[in-house]
Amino acid sequence: MPAEFTFAFPLPDGLHARPASGLEEIARLYASEITLFNQRTGRKASVKSVLELVATDTRAGDPCRILLQGPDEVLAARELSRFVSEILPHCDELPPAAAAGAGQAPLPQCLLQSPVEICRGTAVAAGIGCGRLRRFATAMVCLDSIANETCDEAREKLRQALQAVDALYAARLTLTANPATLQLLKAHRAMARDPALRQWLEGAVAAPGVSAAQAVVAAQNHFAGLFSACASELLRERAADVRDVCRQLLQALGVPAAAPETPPLAEDSIVLADNLTPAELLSLDRHYLKGLALGQTGPASHTAILARSFAIPCVTGIDLLEAARWEGQEAVVDGELGLLARAVTGPARRYYDMEQRRLAGRLARLQQLAQKPGTTQDGARLEIAANLSSAAEVPAAIAAGAESIGLFRTEMLFMDRAEPPDEEEQFHTYRGVLQQAGDRTVIIRTLDFGGDKPLPWLKLPTEANPLLGCRGVRLYPRIEAQFRAQLRALLRASVHGRLRIMIPMLTQVGEARWVKRVFLEERAHAAIHDSSVALGAMVEVPAAAFALPALARELDFFSIGSNDLLHYFTATDRAQGDTAELCQPAAPAFLRLLKTIADDAHAGGKWIGLCGEMGGQTPFLPLLVGLGLDEISVSIRAIAPVKSALASLSAVECRRALAECLDCATAEEVLALAALRPVRQPAPLLDERMAIMCSDAASKAEAIKELCDALYVAGRTDLPRQVEEAVWQREAAYSTGFGHGFAIPHCKTDLVSANSLCVLKAQRAIRWAADDPPVKIVLLLVVRNSDKASEHLKVLARLARLLMHEEFRARLEAAETAAALIQLLANQAGFKEPED
Amino acid sequence: MDRKNLNIVAVTACPTGIAHTYMAAEQLEKTARQLGYQIKVETQGSMGIENELSQADVDAASVAILACDIAIEKMERFARIRKIEVSAQEAIKNPRAVLARAG
Repeated sequence: MPAEFTFAFPLPDGLHARPASGLEEIARLYASEITLFNQRTGRKASVKSVLELVATDTRAGDPCRILLQGPDEVLAARELSRFVSEILPHCDELPPAAAAGAGQAPLPQCLLQSPVEICRGTAVAAGIGCGRLRRFATAMVCLDSIANETCDEAREKLRQALQAVDALYAARLTLTANPATLQLLKAHRAMARDPALRQWLEGAVAAPGVSAAQAVVAAQNHFAGLFSACASELLRERAADVRDVCRQLLQALGVPAAAPETPPLAEDSIVLADNLTPAELLSLDRHYLKGLALGQTGPASHTAILARSFAIPCVTGIDLLEAARWEGQEAVVDGELGLLARAVTGPARRYYDMEQRRLAGRLARLQQLAQKPGTTQDGARLEIAANLSSAAEVPAAIAAGAESIGLFRTEMLFMDRAEPPDEEEQFHTYRGVLQQAGDRTVIIRTLDFGGDKPLPWLKLPTEANPLLGCRGVRLYPRIEAQFRAQLRALLRASVHGRLRIMIPMLTQVGEARWVKRVFLEERAHAAIHDSSVALGAMVEVPAAAFALPALARELDFFSIGSNDLLHYFTATDRAQGDTAELCQPAAPAFLRLLKTIADDAHAGGKWIGLCGEMGGQTPFLPLLVGLGLDEISVSIRAIAPVKSALASLSAVECRRALAECLDCATAEEVLALAALRPVRQPAPLLDERMAIMCSDAASKAEAIKELCDALYVAGRTDLPRQVEEAVWQREAAYSTGFGHGFAIPHCKTDLVSANSLCVLKAQRAIRWAADDPPVKIVLLLVVRNSDKASEHLKVLARLARLLMHEEFRARLEAAETAAALIQLLANQAGFKEPED
Repeated sequence: MDRKNLNIVAVTACPTGIAHTYMAAEQLEKTARQLGYQIKVETQGSMGIENELSQADVDAASVAILACDIAIEKMERFARIRKIEVSAQEAIKNPRAVLARAG
């Protein structure tokens, strides 16, 4: 009987090449015939063909059915349904900057007041890039020189070209560590392997007189046309991917000029192109590539994703006819405002110099913060670690600020192959991870396979409910030889770093004892190993949570696998929509369970971490801090935001908040309470980063920009230009210069995270308004809209009153350092001393 | 009128209620003190009404200075008193001129 399952398509942008290649990658491993039916469009596709999948025109919410028929249909169904429920929904997560979309923000005053020429577009990769504008022209394919081929010759040439391209992608995949490039190459490889493409090509050369190259060009037009006709913008953008793959094929066929004609960049350059394919972008010399100004390429295209990944400022939607007139001239790509600018001189030049200082300032601050150990504002330590699946990710994790590797999954090593890796191969991988991690601890989790994560080489009996079946440590007695080989590889690698070994799916003390016995036996036989390697376990089965006092006598450490723990605790599966409401990490019952685990582990003198998804979700962070965990391990991308959020929390307040949350009735109450309770230390009104003691601002516009930029660098706003806009709106009522060389611009906006005072002392007097005398000291006040009665408002009112006194103004003028200024304000206006 | 015993009430208010409301209040209080006038200044700022004028305060005064850029609350208190209406900015820049109009 064929296997099948149904689901509602989860991605807002529909089934495009990226998710399709993910499905294909799994389907390809199985012999069964696997078909997807879209019940809305009535179209069907082989799940082994990316192109067919994409052509089903599947949109968000479409009811889909996957039917599997063949010898391994049950295994394939399990693996595919796991992918559909766990991985597919996250396939399209874009970095926040891109998701937010810059749109067409009003131009800041500094640019309005300058003679710069501007082409507006949409920012898709942030940053500012300066260089000479170079037009990128896509090479035309010249088919005239192709000799006539017989059908058989053409077919054979195609076969060889497809093989060569497949090998090319395979080779490139091994050379790439950048995750965006990896994903792109995988999607392109899947397209090149696609049965639909192959069938189409074979059909084309079956006609007499059609050469292999002509067939590829025809296929390119056909499939690119198919994508271009799709309703979703995202699918239309995939046409560039088809062109890239076909161009690779043409190159393999030896067609002249099929390679993208790269203008050799020999100086800092901005590349202008209507539609740049990902391969074209990769072919450009990134040393000189300072920015991209594109016409058609959209924000979700692979080209845009790559630009973000390489931090190349990129603007799309540029009018090519307009911009092409500037070819060869110096230009600026502004990935903040979404524009291309020419004739950047005078005030505009100064504006972009300030922009670059602003971006560099924020980056330096974030890097500084990310490289510091995770600490709350009141000094409590919480180690922030990374969850990884491959050795290639280790450098990125360390660069992002990972203090250790809290979970290294070993499944990747075992997947996608017919035989398990031997001890030697595993040893090399583990050693690579440990060596790259240096003196950082690495927790490597032993094999976590079972009914729900099947393997081709692992023949298991079908289980009615694989999630509750034989998986993780439960499987080890059956694959004892493999488990022992993994332990041996780990022990051998242990001398190359700081290793801890973690066992998944532990339920009972008996299992812990069995694992420990096997581990000690292998250790006794191991010639070279680090005798201090710790053995610990995931806490993901509620029974283990309540057996912790006994487990703590057997094992060295624990890490909470909050995803599975929550499912098993609440008897739900978050992939199934109808139980999602019951499956909430913030539910008081679950928090009580977590509290029990953390307390019991510490009572037993053992280290306790958490490596589930809730660790990376900052709204839960106050609760996790309240638990007093030793570590949380999160995805690489979450490390900097979690550390930054942690730095603003008070551990004392978090513990109090958690205690109150445990008494709540519902998850909603918990979240409302956690959001309301002052778990954050109030940021001081002014800190040293917000006191600009020697500004060279030449105008009111520059002074206001510089002050708003200081708020950005201090991490108090992500939208400095919009804060600036609010300040100018207030200036429109009447100028805020009040004589004596002072001005006090201000606004109320929730675009800042905390009430703020910024001070700027100008080297040269600035003209503030027509009737005002020139200004040398500017005080910017930004108050949150939602603040109706805080101590800050009283302090600012006091400051406003003090400014009316000659003596106070003289002392402000005399303060030479930021520290002296802050001290003066603290004494006179009752400012609190900044605490960090 | 005895200028030394001149009894003034005032209200200050500005668009955002963060700065000019308090700057104007301070200027009026400071300058009135220098001139030897009695003054009570109510602020209508971001913290709401502070140092609120009662009807008795207003009735006992001889003049009300309304240094306001926006419509203020409880305007009815000033129905029967002589009013000097200026902007907050004017009270900040020329408090003496504003107070001179009160005398």
